[in-house]
Amino acid sequence: MAARKAVTAVEAHLAATRWQLRLGVAVVALLIALGVIVLGLGLCAALRLSGSATPRYASDVDHFKYGSIGSEPQSGVPYAVWKALPALYPKQFEGRNDYTAFGFIYETDEAGVRKELPIGVSKRQVNGVDVVWLNCATCHTGTWRASDGGVVHVVPGMPSNNLDFHRFVSLLLTAATDERLEAADLFGPMEKAGAHLDWFDRLVWQAAVMPRFREGLIRVRGRLAPLLERQSPWGAGRVDTFNPYKLLQFGTPAASLTEAEVHGVSDFPAIFNQRPREGMELHWDGNNTSLQERNLSAAIGAGVTPKTVDHASLRRVAGWLMDLPAPVSPHPLNAQAALRGQAIYKAECFACHGGQEAGGYVFKAEKLGKVTPIALIGTDRARLDSYTKEFREQQLSKMFAGTPYQFRYFRKTDGYSNQPLDGLWLRGPYLHNGSVPTLTDLLKAPAERPKAFLRGRDQDVIDPVNGGFLTTACTPGQPTPRGTSCYDTALPGNGNGGHLYGVGLTPEQKADLLAYLLTF
Amino acid sequence: MTDVLPPRAAAGPIIRTPADAAAAGDPIFQPLHFRNLTVKNRIFRSNISGIFDNQDGSLTQTRINWESKFAKGGVGGIISSYVPVLMEGRIIAGYATVHRDEFIPLWAKLGEAVHSFDAKYIMQLSHSGRQMDLPGVHNQMRPSLTSTSNRETLHGFLCRAMTKGDIEHTINAFAAGAWRAREAGLDGVELHAANGYLFTQFLSSGINDRTDEYGGSLKNRARFLLDVISAIRSRVGRDFHLQVKLSAIDRNNVIPWEHKGNTLADTVQVAQWVEAAGADAIHVSSGSLFPHPLNPPGDLPIDILAVTYDAMISSGVYGFRNFLLFRYPLLRPIFHWIWFRMKKGHPIEGVSLEEARAIKAAVSVPVLCTGGFQTASFVRDAISGGVVDGVSIARSLMANKDLVQQWAAGHDLPEKPCTYCNKCLANAPKNPMGCYEEARFPSREAMIDEIMSVYKPRADMRIPLASEL
Repeated sequence: MAARKAVTAVEAHLAATRWQLRLGVAVVALLIALGVIVLGLGLCAALRLSGSATPRYASDVDHFKYGSIGSEPQSGVPYAVWKALPALYPKQFEGRNDYTAFGFIYETDEAGVRKELPIGVSKRQVNGVDVVWLNCATCHTGTWRASDGGVVHVVPGMPSNNLDFHRFVSLLLTAATDERLEAADLFGPMEKAGAHLDWFDRLVWQAAVMPRFREGLIRVRGRLAPLLERQSPWGAGRVDTFNPYKLLQFGTPAASLTEAEVHGVSDFPAIFNQRPREGMELHWDGNNTSLQERNLSAAIGAGVTPKTVDHASLRRVAGWLMDLPAPVSPHPLNAQAALRGQAIYKAECFACHGGQEAGGYVFKAEKLGKVTPIALIGTDRARLDSYTKEFREQQLSKMFAGTPYQFRYFRKTDGYSNQPLDGLWLRGPYLHNGSVPTLTDLLKAPAERPKAFLRGRDQDVIDPVNGGFLTTACTPGQPTPRGTSCYDTALPGNGNGGHLYGVGLTPEQKADLLAYLLTF
Repeated sequence: MTDVLPPRAAAGPIIRTPADAAAAGDPIFQPLHFRNLTVKNRIFRSNISGIFDNQDGSLTQTRINWESKFAKGGVGGIISSYVPVLMEGRIIAGYATVHRDEFIPLWAKLGEAVHSFDAKYIMQLSHSGRQMDLPGVHNQMRPSLTSTSNRETLHGFLCRAMTKGDIEHTINAFAAGAWRAREAGLDGVELHAANGYLFTQFLSSGINDRTDEYGGSLKNRARFLLDVISAIRSRVGRDFHLQVKLSAIDRNNVIPWEHKGNTLADTVQVAQWVEAAGADAIHVSSGSLFPHPLNPPGDLPIDILAVTYDAMISSGVYGFRNFLLFRYPLLRPIFHWIWFRMKKGHPIEGVSLEEARAIKAAVSVPVLCTGGFQTASFVRDAISGGVVDGVSIARSLMANKDLVQQWAAGHDLPEKPCTYCNKCLANAPKNPMGCYEEARFPSREAMIDEIMSVYKPRADMRIPLASEL
């Protein structure tokens, strides 16, 4: 059939040029389709990259253990990396597919399945990527057992006696420049560890997540490494609160720290019963009288920043801690001895520490919560000296400046604060630096106190005779069981001298006093 | 009608008729002497008509009625509507042509009718070139012949550049057209070298892109027009009135990215060449397309175009686009901007008068001017001031066919003046020509009656011979 002849010249022209129109329409349609696709992809990307959420927990204790306080955005580890690290560093993780090698504690859920994250590690979506990092429970949840091989009791609020934070941080800093942490090589281990990454995730990871994480780590390493080189390993249950703070928050070079201030490692404290502590001189050296400000400062240590801090979350933790009771001592009670010991305690100890009584712990005492000058207390002064006037001035002028949270209570003291002893049975080893294993040891003259003992994993069997935990003597420089380190009282900052109160009592008096202290 | 008009101011003699006005020395009513033609006064009906004629180009009684109405109204001369010299040069099918000798008696009858009302009749010889609004069955299968093969830019009319043969053929057709006008006893011819038709398409630097002797320099672009004048003179002699209508300034950039085209200086030069070639008068208009924002000046009723331009949709490649611009109120501002931006700073009445002044200063033949004239005093000043020798009027005369008599009776403006609404223009593609400004009439019915009055009286009907069928 012949093509139909056009009716007019204009029609013929239009028919002849219709391909242009069709091409134009096709191009426009294509552009629109492309636009829709780009818009859709952009929207999907925006949705995926704008995800910002963190799990909420119904119970306060779960919130304390697993809830985010806002440490993840600036300091965290992408969750997929967190899961892949054990396989990448089998030696450091002791071949385990979890973080127990560093003393992190895992719980099981109602069905008996182990939770994916240990206590003290929270998860938050940051720009659509799950990131994990620390919260209050990292340093303030420990364990005890009645006997070797007995049930492990997890106690929120007690010092984290298992956690070797120094080793954990050192691993991350090592990993910072390690080729194993390059994105392309990391995808395999991440997926093996259960992460599901589609092409978009891979793009985002290669372009942003990993570079940001690695470079963040390298920056931290650049600041912290010179400090760690000047210090002995901190050992389990301990942390240097203020020196990393100086380096990371204010950019103070590690080399500028004086020898006197550089060894400020101390024990994690217990954080039971916060309400009665309001107004006391808080921190080991009593440098702050505001619970709120002390809490916020501690959160900085866990990795939050003034920009990322989740104030509501912190308030919830703080509120719950207000009346968190110390668990009742499980030690068998020698009532008569304890009664005699109470009398001795009243005379020797009560004025500074308050005491356990029938109605509960008494937080009212003449010198309780007040700083005892270092000249008087005589314990190791390294922790006191690590908090300096210069640092205080930076804290007050810079931290949360321009917000209602601006720091204003920090001050420089000249000693250590007299602490309430609630939950004393869970707080060994004793003194601010954890240098004295048991209460019995503390009642000895410094020269007789143990020179070196193991700290770390599996050192949580309570000592029903001496108070605190059963400890094993060790020889500095010699290999120790996995997960432990040998605490050497001869090292700077580790001194076990001072606090001579009760040292002069007779053995009988000491036994009575101990019987009473075992009820704390 | 003049009898019922009130007398003028009490002082002085009461002027009632054009003869009175002429006797009183009113410049409007003084005769205008061309070389070969004398017209009784200075007012010409400018070229305008409607789709009144037959599809084969033969004229009808309706046209005779139409032209006679103006003649009766008192104008000195009537310039016919656009009359194609070839069927391929029609603007709108249904307008009378002069391409066949058989039409001479018909035109002769029209001439007699106009003469009977004491007016002269000048046939406007035309060729549409690319400006072919409604091609009709004769032309719909071919692109328009013009100076260029580029598409016309407003409606998208298709074009083909004329060959030398086409040009020669067209020159001869103009000469033949002039000869037929003379044979029909008409009083002269006007070459429509204005408003965007074929002559403009050769003259305009914005349209003509030829590289032969009919394109390039102004002299080359004017060659076609000058050749036609020469051919007409060869055919009809020196004693037949021949005037040329020129657009003083092209203002070809109605579509904003188009070139502006010829300047006034270009047209002054062309007018001098035209005079030298043998023209007896210059008729000044404006614009390189029709309609143009400045011709006819005034409003543009886009809402009416929305219901009439559909007749032109299929005429050009851009017809449908334009229709959409007119049809949808949201789109109207686009065309409104394109059109009305050109009008800024220009008056309606005497829109081309200053250009006419410049041309008159450069030639010695009489100069006519068109464009919105309606006020007696304004026209009188223009003539007595030597700006022009006469004016041509279309719309204002269509609104008041007796405008000249009203002026003679002393009215500076008619009682119900033309509003320059251009509804007549917008109705042209579809409806009979007439005044569509309803506000000027007591009722819509009165308006329709007035428009339809051109069809009365009916032509005599007769039974055709068998041989004619």
